[in-house]
Amino acid sequence: MYQVEASKALLKPRLWARRSARLRVPRNVIMLGAVSLLTDVSSEMVATVLPMYLIFSLGASPLVFGAIDGTYRGAAALVQVLSGFTSDRWRRHKEVAGLGYGLSALGKVALVAAGNTVGGIGAIVAVDRVGKGIRTAPRDALISLSSAKDKLATSFGVHRAMDSVGAMLGPLFAFGILFLAPARFDAVFVVSTLFAILGLAVLVLNVEGKPRRAPREGSPPRFRAAAALLEDRSFAPLLLAAAGLSVASVSDAMIYVGLQRTIDFEPAVFPLLYVMTAISFMALAIPVGQLADRIGKVPVLLAGQALLFLVYGVLLMTSVGYLALIVCLVALGGYFAATEGVLTALAGAVLPEKLQASGIGILITVISLGRLVSSVAFGALWFAIGLHSAILIFALGLGVAIALAAPLLLRAQNAALDG
Amino acid sequence: MDSRGGKITVALVVACVLLGGGYVAYAALGPGETSTDASPSAGRSASDVAVMVRAVDPSSPALNGGVFVVEDGRVRRRSEDLSCERVYYAAGHGICMGVAPSGVDYTASVFDDELEPQHSMRLTGLPSRARVSADGRYGSMTVFVSGDAYLSAPAAFSTRTYVLDMKSGKTVGQLEQFGVAKDGAPFDAVDFNFWGITFDPTDSNRFYATLGTGDHHYLVEGDIRGRALRVLRDGVECPSLSPDGKRIAFKSRIEGTNRWRLHVLDVATLADQPVAEKRSIDDQAEWLDADTLVYSDGENVYTVPADGSGEAALLVRDATSPVALRSSR
Repeated sequence: MYQVEASKALLKPRLWARRSARLRVPRNVIMLGAVSLLTDVSSEMVATVLPMYLIFSLGASPLVFGAIDGTYRGAAALVQVLSGFTSDRWRRHKEVAGLGYGLSALGKVALVAAGNTVGGIGAIVAVDRVGKGIRTAPRDALISLSSAKDKLATSFGVHRAMDSVGAMLGPLFAFGILFLAPARFDAVFVVSTLFAILGLAVLVLNVEGKPRRAPREGSPPRFRAAAALLEDRSFAPLLLAAAGLSVASVSDAMIYVGLQRTIDFEPAVFPLLYVMTAISFMALAIPVGQLADRIGKVPVLLAGQALLFLVYGVLLMTSVGYLALIVCLVALGGYFAATEGVLTALAGAVLPEKLQASGIGILITVISLGRLVSSVAFGALWFAIGLHSAILIFALGLGVAIALAAPLLLRAQNAALDG
Repeated sequence: MDSRGGKITVALVVACVLLGGGYVAYAALGPGETSTDASPSAGRSASDVAVMVRAVDPSSPALNGGVFVVEDGRVRRRSEDLSCERVYYAAGHGICMGVAPSGVDYTASVFDDELEPQHSMRLTGLPSRARVSADGRYGSMTVFVSGDAYLSAPAAFSTRTYVLDMKSGKTVGQLEQFGVAKDGAPFDAVDFNFWGITFDPTDSNRFYATLGTGDHHYLVEGDIRGRALRVLRDGVECPSLSPDGKRIAFKSRIEGTNRWRLHVLDVATLADQPVAEKRSIDDQAEWLDADTLVYSDGENVYTVPADGSGEAALLVRDATSPVALRSSR
């Protein structure tokens, strides 16, 4: 009896060790992934039904919805730099992230309690986006500070995969509830609120606020130190590369519009495009992160960027079959999996421990500004010379951006290894 | 701290599942209808032409309403099954667009002269406009879509307009995929939106529609088989061709606002003039006969002379989406 027990006990850790050698992720990262998963279920549930709720229950016109949707997307912008620095300065990443998650949860409660005017919903949506802006940089800093430097890309891959599971489940929950209780938007809002509260609870109760790499000694960083990141010999090249790559990449919204012009869809097929891209992203985020930790983040990042060429190629085809469409969507998911999370991981490796959130906040802002420039430029080119020529120019630009980014990113990575 | 935190989390999960499940169950048993029993009533003006409308409940205008026919001052419900937000009908073929029973999705059905649904399809956006060609061959639907935010610009909205084969109920084209020419040269931009098709009464392959891009709202002339569109002039939304195909009633935007006046233009000269309706109207007007427009303000159906004379008159109370049943009488 004792013998059997003992050999079982021997066997178990060895099996566990073999499995965890493949995927060893700090508990804190899993917990932060769970927080994001729950929060994304909550916000995607609302995002899914909000247009219908506004128009169907409140009688708003689609134009009003457009304005609110703009708030939804625009409200987060520069908040993240400030929240990143503040959480570094106070050394309270968990608390600042908690404030962001808390604001979003509060927004959901307000939606249940008072979401029956169009103006009220506009305000609630803005609060939700500000909450998202506040939490992103300190959350990513916590992921980074919880992970060993040579496992950063895996950690971010796991977090992003869990996050996207939440984004996929949210609409399913919303449709499921409305299937059971037709047109009862209040039930969707109540369940969404519960998910938001659970997400916040997991953060408060299960996330370690001072993980292994978190700075414990030394003076708190000054604003000047955060601003000096813009000239840092390893971080500045990374920012420059990120800016170039994001300006040269056609945004996913534009890609979907382009596909819609190119391919004869039955109307009902269109939402499936997003779903397929999300599934591809979800499936690839973890293995791509592991690959980046094994062979280097820079080659994986650049290869991921190069996947966009496949997408552009499909957009240039005159007739697109289902095979080409699937290749395009899988490539798009792979591009997302190999770029955003891996780039943040690289930043986590390059940045000093005490300025993690500040640096990540700056990086996210640079990327989102780059995307805005890209969208405006692509729209202008499309108008001036047509979709195909615009794509050709962006393909050329992407080639140049990759060629310029490669030495910059390698310099950043090497500086991180030296430091 | 760790195991205590874990236990509290598990307890919270259980509490949330019970609370959420309970609320959904309670909601599932309670009321949550997507259509209204409201029925329209005849207004003070009368018409020789029968008019099909959909009933609207003024307190919840987005609920699906029954399809009624108003004739000689009498109102009859034509179908117990059909319930829509937008309806159109011509030559034995109709389109009914509305909220799906879930309240979160939209569907359209193609129905026959008995008002029996023949085909149905899922819509990817909110129902806006519907039309059927005078010969019943083609239909069109415009929906508002929320998915395409090209830029984070406020008030960015997007429409999608489909052409249907009314026999099969299948999509034969989407205007976003038609080639567009302006002043003889190809014309394209990322923010192209199309809405409000009206078919040529003498040749259903030809149609007019609105192309929105930037601050412009162009009247375009289209060819279904050629999959081509040509820009004619600016400032025309939701065109509607007269029965003889010589005039177009449309929404003329009051510059810089989301308010519109109804105007009528001459197809030969493209010059236009307002009608006597002074209020802002957001509708694709319908021609009751050769001289009269019929349209809705979202609550009631009105008529107004097309030549700018006279004044607006209430035709049907608590109804929208009027369709003149000229040929079937």
